[in-house]
Amino acid sequence: MRRVLLAVFAALAFPAAASAHATLVSTTPPFAHELQRGPARIVLHFDQHVTVLPGGIKVLNGVGAQFAAHAHVVGTNVVARVAPLKLGAYTVRWRAISSDSHVVSGVWTFGVRVPAPAVGEAYGAGGPTASEHVVRWIWFLGLALAIGSLGFRIFCLRGLSVPRSLERRIAVAAGLGIAVAINAGIAAFSLRAEDALQLPFGNFLYGDLSPMAATRFGHAFVVMTLGFAGVLALVYVSWLLDRPTLLVPAFVLSVLFAGGLSWSGHDALDPGSSWKTAVADWVHIAAASVWIGGLATMVGLLWYGAPELRRSAFAQFARLATVLIALVLGAGTYLSIVRLPHLSDLWTQGYGQVLLVKIGLVCFVLVWGAFHHFVVRPTLDRADAGVLARVGRSLVGESLVGIAVLLAAAVLVDSKPPAQSSEQSPAGAATTLRP
Amino acid sequence: MLPHAEMVHWLFATGILFVGLCLLCEAIVGQEVWRARPWRKYLWPGVAFGMGVLLWPVMAFFTNSSIHMYAHGSWAEVLMLAGGAELGLVHGRLTSPLWRLTWPLAFAVTGTAFIVHEQNSWLFARSAFLHHLIGWTFVIGALVPLALVLRPRSVVLQACMALTIVSVATMLYTDRDVAPVFDHLSPLAGAPHR
Repeated sequence: MRRVLLAVFAALAFPAAASAHATLVSTTPPFAHELQRGPARIVLHFDQHVTVLPGGIKVLNGVGAQFAAHAHVVGTNVVARVAPLKLGAYTVRWRAISSDSHVVSGVWTFGVRVPAPAVGEAYGAGGPTASEHVVRWIWFLGLALAIGSLGFRIFCLRGLSVPRSLERRIAVAAGLGIAVAINAGIAAFSLRAEDALQLPFGNFLYGDLSPMAATRFGHAFVVMTLGFAGVLALVYVSWLLDRPTLLVPAFVLSVLFAGGLSWSGHDALDPGSSWKTAVADWVHIAAASVWIGGLATMVGLLWYGAPELRRSAFAQFARLATVLIALVLGAGTYLSIVRLPHLSDLWTQGYGQVLLVKIGLVCFVLVWGAFHHFVVRPTLDRADAGVLARVGRSLVGESLVGIAVLLAAAVLVDSKPPAQSSEQSPAGAATTLRP
Repeated sequence: MLPHAEMVHWLFATGILFVGLCLLCEAIVGQEVWRARPWRKYLWPGVAFGMGVLLWPVMAFFTNSSIHMYAHGSWAEVLMLAGGAELGLVHGRLTSPLWRLTWPLAFAVTGTAFIVHEQNSWLFARSAFLHHLIGWTFVIGALVPLALVLRPRSVVLQACMALTIVSVATMLYTDRDVAPVFDHLSPLAGAPHR
């Protein structure tokens, strides 16, 4: 810890040389373009002078063969001639020294008479790591807390006299969930870019992320970040002005913007996917978020914070949960059938095995929820304080299993579903790129 | 099509200048006179909170390097937090004056991000020099809002706070090569960017 503090102090006190680092303004060929013939040269246009490094531009095919000649500087451009390219997908990796002595780096892809692969499928790119699973899980937790707490306030406390302290706690929970979701989104975007760039951390800080921002995931990241920043402001204004009605548009917008995950995930992009799978994924995520986040809100904020509302809120949540579980199961079953056409895929494929774990956890939490719905709810009216405390502990357990379901979902999203044998990949070349 | 970085710097410099001038007015005329019109107490905290919200598009669209993205994101968060806390205090939703500690926090985080995201040497190029100047002004200036938490009625401290913010806004206006205020500070830094 002392070393970290010393390093931070040294970085502040003894800065390295020079001015703002160079920014890549444009490239030839542009990011992710399909060309009819191979480019004669690669041009990187910067906003200022840079110094070229040995091997400063590399053009690599699917097996790592290099086609670019020595790069040289022309004004604020770095140019490298390229040997004739055959049909296929290619990766450009570049590095240059900015006038501030930082090594700026980047990667992008193009295709010659084939669609350009996604930058995450560039030659040399790595796959998702354990840290990406954790970040995705935190992202889901943030979304569930935000959407679930807003949904709980709107649907389960409707018509009840909600104490001001509970209103404040719900607003804080929603705001916290949104802040977590925004920051986890930034971390997920950075990690996805790092998979493509494959740079040491020091160089990654000056890596160009714009090719990643130009992907579907990048667009979803931008829309979700801006959308949730707006929702955060809305939740804050609702609390500040004591206007709970503003939570309704905040909830609607949150559910809409959570669709960014579906719009940029397997169920929108992979072979076999369609608008129906994307919508089903969105319904699945939104319903699960309201269910798990609402449950956590009820047990974490209301059960001990506003005990007078326990019975009525529990009854309303039980009714809502029935609808949500139907949506989660319906959409999830449809997606499982599309992703895994053969039942044996569940135990023979890695994706299927993770799905099996998730299904097991969902079944567990469903049985637990059914116990609360069919056994606990009818007796709640005549339950004494001791019973209510035990119910609270049981709800905590159900919430924890729900959180575990979200972890399995995070691993599942980062896993690759098995290829659809009957259909050709529209980005077929992309799958051939990894070394 | 993104605007030049200068345009964005100038827009935010205008917002920061507005906040600084409001604070200066409040320090000169006193809180009672400043708040004679009820909407005025919301003016600068509202602008600060709004600038925090508007920094998110800057974070999301300027992805030319990771470290810039993180710096813009950190400014968005601390500005929303400090502006939001101030709004809560003036509206009466928050009562503890300790919420004003969000301002020294915002100053310290902002200053550190300014210094770290442009690792520059002194007096080398205008952008380098000014990023350091702004960064250190914020880091050292964080002592002023910290002292204001302890002595909220001190006119000297209120004026210092306002002038610190006005100074930062002025520096931000001159932060790029196309702003011909200081000229290029050293030929060693190479040709101006644009």
